[in-house]
Amino acid sequence: MEHQLSFEAELIDRIDWLIRLRWLAVAGVVLAVGLLALWFPTTLALGPLLGTTAIIGIYNLLFLCYLRTLRSGSQSVARLRRATSFAYVQIALDLVALAALIHFAGGVENLLAFFLVFHVIIASILLPRGSSYLVAALAVLLYESVIALEYTGLLPHYHLPMLRQELYQNLLYLFTASAVMMFMLFLVAYLATSIASRLRERDRELWESNQTCQIRSQELQDLNEQLRRIDGERTRFMVLVTHELRAPISTIYSALELALGGYAPPEKTREVLARAQNRATDLLDLIRDLLDLTKVREETDEQAQVVPIQMADVLREVVDFVRVEAEGKGLTLEVEIKPDLAPVRALPEQMKLVWTNLLSNAIKYSKSGGKIQVSLDQDARRVIGSVRDTGIGIPAEDLPRIFDEFYRAGNARDVTPHGTGIGLAVVRRIVDNWEGDIWAESKVGQGSTFTFVLPRADAGERA
Amino acid sequence: MATKGEILIIDDDQDFCEIAKATLEADSFSVRCACTGPEGLAMMREKRPDLVFLDVIMVMPAEGLYVSEEIAKDPALRDVPVVMVSSIVGSGYTGYFPTDRPLHAHMFLDKPVPLSRLLEVANSFVQEKRVGA
Repeated sequence: MEHQLSFEAELIDRIDWLIRLRWLAVAGVVLAVGLLALWFPTTLALGPLLGTTAIIGIYNLLFLCYLRTLRSGSQSVARLRRATSFAYVQIALDLVALAALIHFAGGVENLLAFFLVFHVIIASILLPRGSSYLVAALAVLLYESVIALEYTGLLPHYHLPMLRQELYQNLLYLFTASAVMMFMLFLVAYLATSIASRLRERDRELWESNQTCQIRSQELQDLNEQLRRIDGERTRFMVLVTHELRAPISTIYSALELALGGYAPPEKTREVLARAQNRATDLLDLIRDLLDLTKVREETDEQAQVVPIQMADVLREVVDFVRVEAEGKGLTLEVEIKPDLAPVRALPEQMKLVWTNLLSNAIKYSKSGGKIQVSLDQDARRVIGSVRDTGIGIPAEDLPRIFDEFYRAGNARDVTPHGTGIGLAVVRRIVDNWEGDIWAESKVGQGSTFTFVLPRADAGERA
Repeated sequence: MATKGEILIIDDDQDFCEIAKATLEADSFSVRCACTGPEGLAMMREKRPDLVFLDVIMVMPAEGLYVSEEIAKDPALRDVPVVMVSSIVGSGYTGYFPTDRPLHAHMFLDKPVPLSRLLEVANSFVQEKRVGA
């Protein structure tokens, strides 16, 4: 459709070219007739020749006007149809005019008939495939009619003064001229059509490859944009990481300087060194979390080969691991796993990380005597995991940002001043990577509930 | 024991506060610590210090700048020397520094601050103040 429209614009340009060519033809005929009139002032049918030329000039003027109105319209298939019919009309009229000129300039005796070839070529360029045969047929018909009508006397014959013999009554000559003309016109039609159709095919291929290039270029632009965004995110992340690494190292450095330089009394120095040791532990935690984050990125690249897993197995393993810590802090840990859960497509190590991070947060931010409830359930499409605690809760203003890298809620800083702020970012990244979702609901002083969902691996089979 | 002067450290990094406090106290300064900007301002208004060490990035990236502006606005605190301490120089946070408005800071120190430098700065500002007085 789009290609048709581009063909239409080209067709209109070519019609314009044909009209300009016709002005040249008019000028050429007037010049030739003028010269002949100088040499043979009495014998040439000057009046009919100039009359026919004038008619060509008039209809060319009308064509020019129609072309203007055609150009002012908008691109459409209807306009393409109008332009094609317009080209047919022009060629047909030209053939008739040329036949008239041939008749008035000596009929079969005049080699002007060879100009019929041009219209066959023009038709093969301008009009749909096969049209040039139609034009050739019309040209042959008109030519043969002129010859036949002159031969039979139904049309007068205008003898060319430079020829001694009257050829229009010579049957052998008439037969030869007709056969040559017919053969030549159809041969030209065949040649011009095959060349034009090959060119059109190339043109279409070029147009298609151009379209493909445009699509590719858009895809490349989109990819570039995406890369720029990822690069920006990575830079922001690096800024945060360097800041978070620098703070504990500065503290450790200052503590060592204090101890080595003897800036404070021994008991104070000991206290400061103990702080430095804690910061070193924080630093190790931060590095571990950063490694988790990087691992999530790398492992997820191999998602295609992942075998569906049973989330319940992973959860039980993690619960066994954290139960000691929870109970040691005086917390009750309740676990409810619904039977016959569908598997999920995910990496078991990453799922362990999700449960471990959610559960250790629940333990960290709950006071002794509190309760942690873990549940695993499913609906028609998703497996649903949740961790509910009776801890300090998250202030409403912090809730939208708790899954951001390095973000820590204000009251979390009061409980543990040097948390990494990466744990929940790792959790969200894992859940996102497996096309799941995670959210948190919380009330300060009452506790928090973290819920995440992952698509059931059997969803496709069930549907 | 007579102190050389009253110093306030405003920094959310409690470890830095403690280390600086231990160092300055060992050199006979009286030191108080505040963890947030608003807390620091309240402590300054409660008892006017001779010198403030102020962190730039606390809970908010430009919290220290806000505190320094508040100090500049308050006629009772305007003359207290402010030394900005941060790991902002060379970190990606440099862009948070508004370069189009004058900062109320008498000096900048980059973390980690060598403790000898910390003592030198504290002594020079407190000394200067005393000479001025």
